[in-house]
Amino acid sequence: MDILFLLVPFSVVLALLIVGLLAWAVWSGQFEDVDKEGERILDDQA
Amino acid sequence: MKGLWRAQCGVSTPYFQSDLMPMNSTIPGPSGSATYNDTIVRQFAIAAVIWGVVSMLVGVFIAAQMAWPALNFDLPWLSFGRLRPLHTNAAIFAFGGCALFATSYWVVQRTCQVRIISDKLAALHFWLWQAVIVAAAITLPLGITRGKEYAELEWPISIAIAVAWVAYAVVFFGTIGIRKVRHIYVANWFYGAFIIAVALLHITNAMSMPATLWKSYSVYAGVQDAMVQWWYGHNAVGFFLTAGFLGIVYYFIPKQAERPVYSYRLSIVHFWALIFTYMWAGPHHLHYTALPDWTQSLGMVFSLILLAPSWGGMINGVMTLSGAWHKLRDDPIIRFMIVALSFYGIATFEGPMMSIKTVNALSHYTDWGIGHVHGGTLGWVGFISMGALYYLVPRLYGQSQMHSLRAIELHFWISTLGIVLYIASMWIAGVMQGLMWRSINTDGSLTYTFVESVKASIPFYIIRFVGGLMYLSGMAVMAWNVAMTVRAGRAQDARIPAVLAPV
Amino acid sequence: MSADAPVASPDWARPWSDAADGANQDALALDAPQAWAEFSQPVDADALVWQSQLRVEGMRCAACALTVEQTLARLPGVQSVRVSSAARRAAIVWSAQASRPSEWLAAIAKLGYRLSPDVDAGLQRQGQHEARLLLWRWLVAGFCMMQVMMYAYPAYMAEPGTITPDIEQLLRWASWVLSLPVLLFSAQPFFANAWRDLLERRISMDLPVALGLLITFGISSVATFEPQGRWGAEVYFDSLTMFVFFLLSGRWQEGRLRERTAGSLDALMQRLPMTVERRCSDGRFERIAARQLRLGDVLRVLPGQAFVADGELIEGQTQVDESLLSGESRPLHRNRGSAVLAGSYNLQAPVLMQVGSLGQSTRYAQIVALMQQAALDKPRLALLADRVARPFLWTVLALALAVVLLYEDPVRGLMAAVAVLVVTCPCALSLATPSALLASAGWLARQGVLVRRLQALERLTTVDTVLLDKTGTLTEARLGLREITLAPGRKHWSPAQALQAACALAQSSLHPLSRALLIEGQRRWPDAPWAQWRLLNVQELSGQGLQGQTVGDGWPGLQDQLKLGHAEFCGAPSQAQGDQGLQVYLADEQGPIARFEFDEVLREDAQALLAQLGRAGLQVHLVSGDRQASVARLAERLGLAADQLHGQCSPQDKLALLQALQAQGRRVLMIGDGLNDAPVLAQADVSMAVGSSVPLAQAQADVVLPTASLGLILVLREQARRSMRIVRQNLVWAAAYNAVCVPLALTGWLPSWAAGLGMALSSLWVVLNAARLSRPPAMPAPSRA
Repeated sequence: MDILFLLVPFSVVLALLIVGLLAWAVWSGQFEDVDKEGERILDDQA
Repeated sequence: MKGLWRAQCGVSTPYFQSDLMPMNSTIPGPSGSATYNDTIVRQFAIAAVIWGVVSMLVGVFIAAQMAWPALNFDLPWLSFGRLRPLHTNAAIFAFGGCALFATSYWVVQRTCQVRIISDKLAALHFWLWQAVIVAAAITLPLGITRGKEYAELEWPISIAIAVAWVAYAVVFFGTIGIRKVRHIYVANWFYGAFIIAVALLHITNAMSMPATLWKSYSVYAGVQDAMVQWWYGHNAVGFFLTAGFLGIVYYFIPKQAERPVYSYRLSIVHFWALIFTYMWAGPHHLHYTALPDWTQSLGMVFSLILLAPSWGGMINGVMTLSGAWHKLRDDPIIRFMIVALSFYGIATFEGPMMSIKTVNALSHYTDWGIGHVHGGTLGWVGFISMGALYYLVPRLYGQSQMHSLRAIELHFWISTLGIVLYIASMWIAGVMQGLMWRSINTDGSLTYTFVESVKASIPFYIIRFVGGLMYLSGMAVMAWNVAMTVRAGRAQDARIPAVLAPV
Repeated sequence: MSADAPVASPDWARPWSDAADGANQDALALDAPQAWAEFSQPVDADALVWQSQLRVEGMRCAACALTVEQTLARLPGVQSVRVSSAARRAAIVWSAQASRPSEWLAAIAKLGYRLSPDVDAGLQRQGQHEARLLLWRWLVAGFCMMQVMMYAYPAYMAEPGTITPDIEQLLRWASWVLSLPVLLFSAQPFFANAWRDLLERRISMDLPVALGLLITFGISSVATFEPQGRWGAEVYFDSLTMFVFFLLSGRWQEGRLRERTAGSLDALMQRLPMTVERRCSDGRFERIAARQLRLGDVLRVLPGQAFVADGELIEGQTQVDESLLSGESRPLHRNRGSAVLAGSYNLQAPVLMQVGSLGQSTRYAQIVALMQQAALDKPRLALLADRVARPFLWTVLALALAVVLLYEDPVRGLMAAVAVLVVTCPCALSLATPSALLASAGWLARQGVLVRRLQALERLTTVDTVLLDKTGTLTEARLGLREITLAPGRKHWSPAQALQAACALAQSSLHPLSRALLIEGQRRWPDAPWAQWRLLNVQELSGQGLQGQTVGDGWPGLQDQLKLGHAEFCGAPSQAQGDQGLQVYLADEQGPIARFEFDEVLREDAQALLAQLGRAGLQVHLVSGDRQASVARLAERLGLAADQLHGQCSPQDKLALLQALQAQGRRVLMIGDGLNDAPVLAQADVSMAVGSSVPLAQAQADVVLPTASLGLILVLREQARRSMRIVRQNLVWAAAYNAVCVPLALTGWLPSWAAGLGMALSSLWVVLNAARLSRPPAMPAPSRA
């Protein structure tokens, strides 16, 4: 099952990248005040 | 003067790094006008409709070949073996792909309140993608294939796909980068995950050593290759056919229903849970193969876990209509979308069930798999795309609605009936095949020969053909409806609302 | 009070201050660049673009926030706006050349909301930073935990020998890499606290947790690097990451609760006025920011405005309302030369004052300081769970150590020790209390009770004495009309007509008695018929009353001068009985027409509450800054004994009373609402702020009852009891679970996957048990009055 030597490290890197992406999301406030964001798209007149 | 102000205000630090993005309220697009680039949306939308008809036509043809093999005409270019990958590639990448590109370009511009960052790259994306499809239509019947499912296209075309994909990614993420709205709407997260995941998967799985212009060898071998292939294959389903189309759900269903998503928080949780669990479900395609037992078990367990986030998303989408269920009765477009979610629920329940080893022992290699795929593609992917396209086309051509609402109704009913016939026939055929193949006499010999099971399947192949034909007819009705709408309308790009720029 | 002749209005006095006008003035004052620094920062180097933080009041829902955002974004010069409906804050980036704060305030006022500068923005940013950091730590722990679990899974379920050693090694390495962020980043709070404990030679729960994490990681790392070595049998990365994730879950929940209650209390914050009118050298008055005041400045304060500084009246006379500071509900007369206090309200006439003390040296600020000091000195009672958990954890560590020493094979011994550490995860313990208290707090919030400090729920179950503040807690913060008596001989008047005539006069006055008359009048006649009656030359005479000339039809048969005020002023014989201050007379030129008697309005449920408290075995004491006579009168109505009354108490007196009670060994619940209660609220074992309390009182109270429904106090007590029951159940469960699992781990019978699984299930059980507190109790709660 040698392919795991590719897939497993790959997934570790991917997991770390996702965690980094999560950090960006948290710090730029993407998870704050989400309740009104669902309604915002209804107003964009398109 | 400025120093005086600062002194008066008692400010000592140079200036404050705002975490808002101070910007002008109108940003002219690259062409100098404050409009969205809807041309690219138009192009991909029309392409989606055309390739939809084409891919389904091929599908109906090969279904007929299964029932009446004479339709192979002894011609290599029309043989089932070569036409099947043409059908799958056309359906997934031509029809599904163009639908995703059209909707994502529409959504990203409007949720970010800005025109796409580069019209040229988007145009490159479009034309290169069409070239890829045409190349596929030529090479696959010619027998030029890598032999890896959903990744059959040979290396030059693979590279073209990668280039087009990079262009797409640059435009999509670049547009988000210049957005005027701080919050990135959840649909964009789904599209973004789809784009990145497909890029990773494609590049990893397509790695091959070219031997001639049209022949290459995979860098992986044997069961290793199988693992990579099905890691790719399942994630292609998960990210191309699921995550991307969930992006469509989270924008177009609220817009069509004129209500916000049932629970925005749930949609965020749904997103992260989904992309996280999908990665490891791949091995369930390889039960009882040379793959080690523990890998298979891993795949099974995580496929079952996957059920939760999938259904969470489905419930979130369906419940958006809570309090407005009458729309299902009155509006065929929203009906397409909600029924799509129902098929999504069915498929995401059926899939984990089939990944259980004992069930899989019966279902693997049978037509049950085909039934599962087509419930997902015709029901979920097809219907949500059609709903979204019905939303888009009038708006792209300055019309208030499609040319004929009754045609939409007709489309819906023919196609739904077609799907039902399709999957019912394939379930029955699949279970029957599985039972026949494993049936053993008391002396240990097989009860049935393989060809006997084939013969027993033929009536179901005929029913499946009829179902597919009905689905194709529905698509033809749609194509007509779209053509009439386009003819009556005028292509126009929407203005970016200049004032509505809160951050 | 001696009868003064009406004073001619000096030319610097203006008639009634229009509340809206005052608000406009405040808004315009914000346009001055000097005022910006308090709530804004320049964004660019040239200070042409600024970012301001504002508070938004009146938003009910998420859609409101969108409306506010869009309205502001449309204004010229506004570059970007972000409104948070949860935090009730707005952040605006704007161009100093093209936009003005007053425009924003006006635009939003038109929508029906209120914008005000947010001077606490720095604190708010800090809070947001901490919340984000905690969320990120938790998310990192969660994601890495899920990945590590996936890597750990094959080792658990593969038949021995089906996984090749190199694959197994690969999976261990992957787990190690992904455990690093969890250990180094997510678990930082535990290590930081544990380190601080060591430095301060103190014991908290974080020390054993930190030790457990380090040992587990150490052993698992060794196993990863040297799989063939003595330690190579098992790794515990999945347990490790689960540890951290569950422990952080408890912290994250607590953080969210704190955030939530902070937001709902913030909305009620009022401050001293931001701007004042100061006399310039040429005699004109200019409006400036209060921050710019200096000692000796002369200020003009209009009726309806608050004093922003301590000082002395130099011109004019008026009545002031000092209830915020002293609890005295009656207006006080102030003459030239009298002292006025920051935080009190000018009720009657425009005055000039000279600033004597500013900022920290005002009486207002001194009370705040007193309260903050009391809060610091308050003894921290350890929570039940902490008291149990700490010795437990040390016992566990000692056990683990003993195991290591006693086993012949040190390797097996250490492995057993690790299994012990893992299985006895403090997760269940650390989750037991917060999850229960949080669930309770959430349910209570839905009933209208805001719990600000969770420890209060636990302490509430041991309370045996209740200190009640009179004004505003048992009584409403206003006087009520009790009786109308007609003078003998005024046959053609009816009590109703007398009241209406009185209202006609009273509507021009801010005096509390006038207000009380009007409230009663509006209650009886919502269409206010007296508004059409015309009066000329209405004058309010300080210390005496109102007078005016009736004009036109509609009056009950009179066309002459009406008076409303004290007995002497109206020519009535002053009554010997009762309290002179609570009587008001209506008179015309012929003499008195009617007498109005007032009383404090008891809250509807006050009497019932006191009876219930008594039945529940609680000793009740009544304290008040009011005069002893009024306290006694109230106590009589409520049926309290003499030793339970304490009138004329200053904040220091109340504090002394509390300390005396506590010295007797009593546990005291203090219920109050005024600023003068704030020091006591800080010192009491459990403190509760009721109704529309002064914000500082709310800031210190453990529990806030915004709706002032006293019956909720008993609901709260019952819920606190339920909570402690559940907490004890959780602790018992944790103990039983450990009692079973520890011996198994000690003897080496517990494989690592079982230890991890046990820990997860145990924590889950605790949380689910606690969730029962979110549902209504089996018994119906006592009905709220």
